[in-house]
Amino acid sequence: MTSTVTAPEADEQHSSASGAHLVRKKRLFFPFFLPAVTLYVLFLVVPTIATVVLGFTSWAGAGDTPRFIGIGNYAELMGSDSFRYAFLNTLLYIVVGGVGTFLLAFLFTMVLRDMRGGKIVRAVLFFPNIVAPVALGMFFGIILIFRPNRQGLVNHLLESVGVDAVKFLAPENVTWVVTACLIWASSGFYITILMAAVDRIPPYLYEDADIAGATPWQKFRNVTLPLTWDVIGVAGVLWTISAIKIFELVFVLAGPGTYSPQIRAWTLGIYVFDRSFGTAGSPQYGMACAAAVVMILLVSVLVVLLRRLMRRDTIQF
Amino acid sequence: MSSTVESKPAVAVRPVRTPPRKPKPAPGSRGFSPLRLLGMIFVWLFTAVNVLVLYWLVSASFKTPIEIFSKPFALPLQWFERGDPFRNFAYAWNNAGFGHAFVVTVVLVAVSSVVIVLVSAPAAYALSRLGVRGSNGLTNFVAIGMGIPFQTVVIPLFIGMGKLGLTNNLFGMFLIYVALSIPFTVFLLTGFFKSLPDELEEAAAIDGASPFRTFFAIMLPLTRGGLITALILNAIGLWNETLLAIVFLNENANFTLARALFSFYGAASYQSEYGGLIAGVAIVVLPMLVLYVLLARRIITGLTLGAGK
Amino acid sequence: MATVTFDGTTRYYAGNPVPAVDGLDLEVADGEFLVLVGPSGCGKSTTLRMLAGLEGIDDGAIRIGDRDVTNLPPKDRDIAMVFQNYALYPHMTVADNIGFHLKIAKMPKAERLERVREAAELLDLTPYLDRKPAKLSGGQRQRVAMGRAIVRRPQVFCMDEPLSNLDAKLRVQTRTQIASLQRRLGVTTIYVTHDQVEAMTMGDRVAVLKDGLLQQCDTPIGLFGKPANLFVAGFIGSPAMNLIPATVEGDSARVGGRPVQLTRDQVSALTSPSVVVGVRPEGWRILSPAEGIEATVEVVEELGSDQYLYCSSPVEQIGADANQFTVRAPGMSPWQRGDKLGLAPETGAVHLFDAETGARLPD
Repeated sequence: MTSTVTAPEADEQHSSASGAHLVRKKRLFFPFFLPAVTLYVLFLVVPTIATVVLGFTSWAGAGDTPRFIGIGNYAELMGSDSFRYAFLNTLLYIVVGGVGTFLLAFLFTMVLRDMRGGKIVRAVLFFPNIVAPVALGMFFGIILIFRPNRQGLVNHLLESVGVDAVKFLAPENVTWVVTACLIWASSGFYITILMAAVDRIPPYLYEDADIAGATPWQKFRNVTLPLTWDVIGVAGVLWTISAIKIFELVFVLAGPGTYSPQIRAWTLGIYVFDRSFGTAGSPQYGMACAAAVVMILLVSVLVVLLRRLMRRDTIQF
Repeated sequence: MSSTVESKPAVAVRPVRTPPRKPKPAPGSRGFSPLRLLGMIFVWLFTAVNVLVLYWLVSASFKTPIEIFSKPFALPLQWFERGDPFRNFAYAWNNAGFGHAFVVTVVLVAVSSVVIVLVSAPAAYALSRLGVRGSNGLTNFVAIGMGIPFQTVVIPLFIGMGKLGLTNNLFGMFLIYVALSIPFTVFLLTGFFKSLPDELEEAAAIDGASPFRTFFAIMLPLTRGGLITALILNAIGLWNETLLAIVFLNENANFTLARALFSFYGAASYQSEYGGLIAGVAIVVLPMLVLYVLLARRIITGLTLGAGK
Repeated sequence: MATVTFDGTTRYYAGNPVPAVDGLDLEVADGEFLVLVGPSGCGKSTTLRMLAGLEGIDDGAIRIGDRDVTNLPPKDRDIAMVFQNYALYPHMTVADNIGFHLKIAKMPKAERLERVREAAELLDLTPYLDRKPAKLSGGQRQRVAMGRAIVRRPQVFCMDEPLSNLDAKLRVQTRTQIASLQRRLGVTTIYVTHDQVEAMTMGDRVAVLKDGLLQQCDTPIGLFGKPANLFVAGFIGSPAMNLIPATVEGDSARVGGRPVQLTRDQVSALTSPSVVVGVRPEGWRILSPAEGIEATVEVVEELGSDQYLYCSSPVEQIGADANQFTVRAPGMSPWQRGDKLGLAPETGAVHLFDAETGARLPD
């Protein structure tokens, strides 16, 4: 198996000494690469394909046999309220949460560029990124709780300044609350990415802009933004693939915890979970797989769209 | 007559000046634009809120539920007065199973992280430095795995692992954790391997070291920083992982911390056991905080590395 | 246009009690090309950046014309700056780069484009207006940076080592281009460089700085002919001046056993009997070994038009090459390594400095 790939490569090597070494090196390829790629294919690629296939079946899980029903699941998804909420909420988190996170990150980069203590601010804001979303969710759940006389932290503060307490976690509000929490928790990561890009911009460009008399906004618009465009594009992709998975935060914040929340708060991640492992009702693995396929499609479409939108000549300093 | 003559102050003798405490800033930056001031205030406020939140979490984990809700910013008092300051932690640790979960998590996370790096490092080396045709395509093929949401693989995995008797089984959990962490780790490590100069391998080859030896004796030690970063980032990711633990582990004896916290949440809110719950949250969060305080720079650069390039 | 006046201008950097620029007094005439020169860290760039408004001024003032600009932000100073790295915006075309400042100043588009076109014509950049900086050669980028300064039609140009990123040949070409362009536009220019040849060839006047202190400001001829102190003497001129320490007895100093006569004024100006005798390489007469300071040719540098002889000698000098005498001989002279010579200064070629203070003795 090894020789099939290395042999033609070796033929191209004319200088014998380094060629021999290269051939020996290339012999390492499969022993080194196979263990990782085997696990990868077995646990990620094959299951993904299986999910796509199962998406065309009706299957109640263990004890049942999958039955091919074509696009039946997808047709049913289209008509389902819970799926519609899940899809729209997920889209909302990706788009509104993304726009909010990036706006916040931009605002911070404008201010942080030459601010003392910037490093500390960055470190503090980054921390929520390494906290388990489930812990974040519970934390928010406790501080946002609405319970007259024993209010959570936020309502306690609101009441102490004479504002009526808000039912933050009620189904009609929770989506926006989660969006805010999401922005709060992820902004540090994107601030760090963008700041790293901003720090690479040569300072003399800002000095020239100073001489031109550019305002902070003009500097941002004419220098910072165009020169960090590539990084913003990559950060946008990272945002999309992480926001599409959103699950624990909503599950904990919007529901009682152990069971799925009300369908108004669902995301695609919750939909898949509820239809397969959620404890309510009998599982619908086929539907769950179809919803999972929608997740992959959505993320692919968004990533391709984003790359298209952000495409531009690369910048050389 | 020595050459020191030249270095003497030549024309004017320096007048005695007292340097200002702080040099003046450039005139452009001095004019405090209201926008900038507003931005500064906002940034510091945001930062302060984050610090406050952390304070709230830590102090609340020592409070009684009444204190948590009625005196959110006060220092904890009641449990101290009753001579049982660690009551919440004791409750979470013993009654809610966090003690056992802690041990399970530490072992599972440690073993998995090490194995992930052991499996990924050679693969990353193979993809980045062996010069095999198609390496780039293969690297992309592996990297795409980072974009696959776990939800899309969880059902077939559950079925498959169930057939092998590996659901509700820590070894099965370990396998899944290792496999699903491979794309990120391989991608991260290819970056580190690519940054090494070619001369090292060539020098080793001239010295007669076999490629295998070159990898273990030269390349691995040189990427030690990258390997440690990969180890830490995987440990953080797995420590916090919840979805897969919820699906694959359903017996208290196998629970990881995040899984235990998840099941404890419903019961705790129902019983108003908020002290224990917050202590549980703290048990999940505080080790990460300690790690972060020690290794913030490595963690931040590691996690943001892929995007910066 | 405008004059530029530095009035006791002083700049400190945080954490350093010694000022980077210390009480600089300098007057630049309208339309003058003034070069600031000195070794790295001498404060020349800081001076320029203070004038541009990129650096605060801790003490003293700067005036452009009769306006005190000490506390004005850069844009209100009516200056333009050419940076060492050109500071071109990599994402903008040449035309956009040149017109960037006008765009920020909200100049109407038609007028802006007209000015950009004019500047591009002046600098031979017209064919490149749609290119990005990455696609330009070093010299072209340098011209774009010049163009961006020109279109502002400022009262003062600030140039910070604008040629240091060019290769040697291009640097010589561009040097003359910039000098002639400046003379044509008649805009007061402050030009920073560490290269004394650049300074001498381009400037109407040259200000030499060292450790934040102004050493001398004069025309190139004045600087070369009458260096005000040892530092300037050693810094200006290539190869450098020979500087020989000696002791004054009566009214003469002995160099290599030969007397060098001092005037009465010079003797009375001395703070101690120690003096430094300076002779430029072209100031030597080459005699037979018995007639002058003994020297042995070690290296012959043949330049065709001239020949430089690097000679060893028992007589000590100050500076790095303690025993090396540099002598200029006519090109294609027959000197060879190992030849023995006697050196004596030409009349009028001797520069005398007080060894203690470093100051030039009166002529």
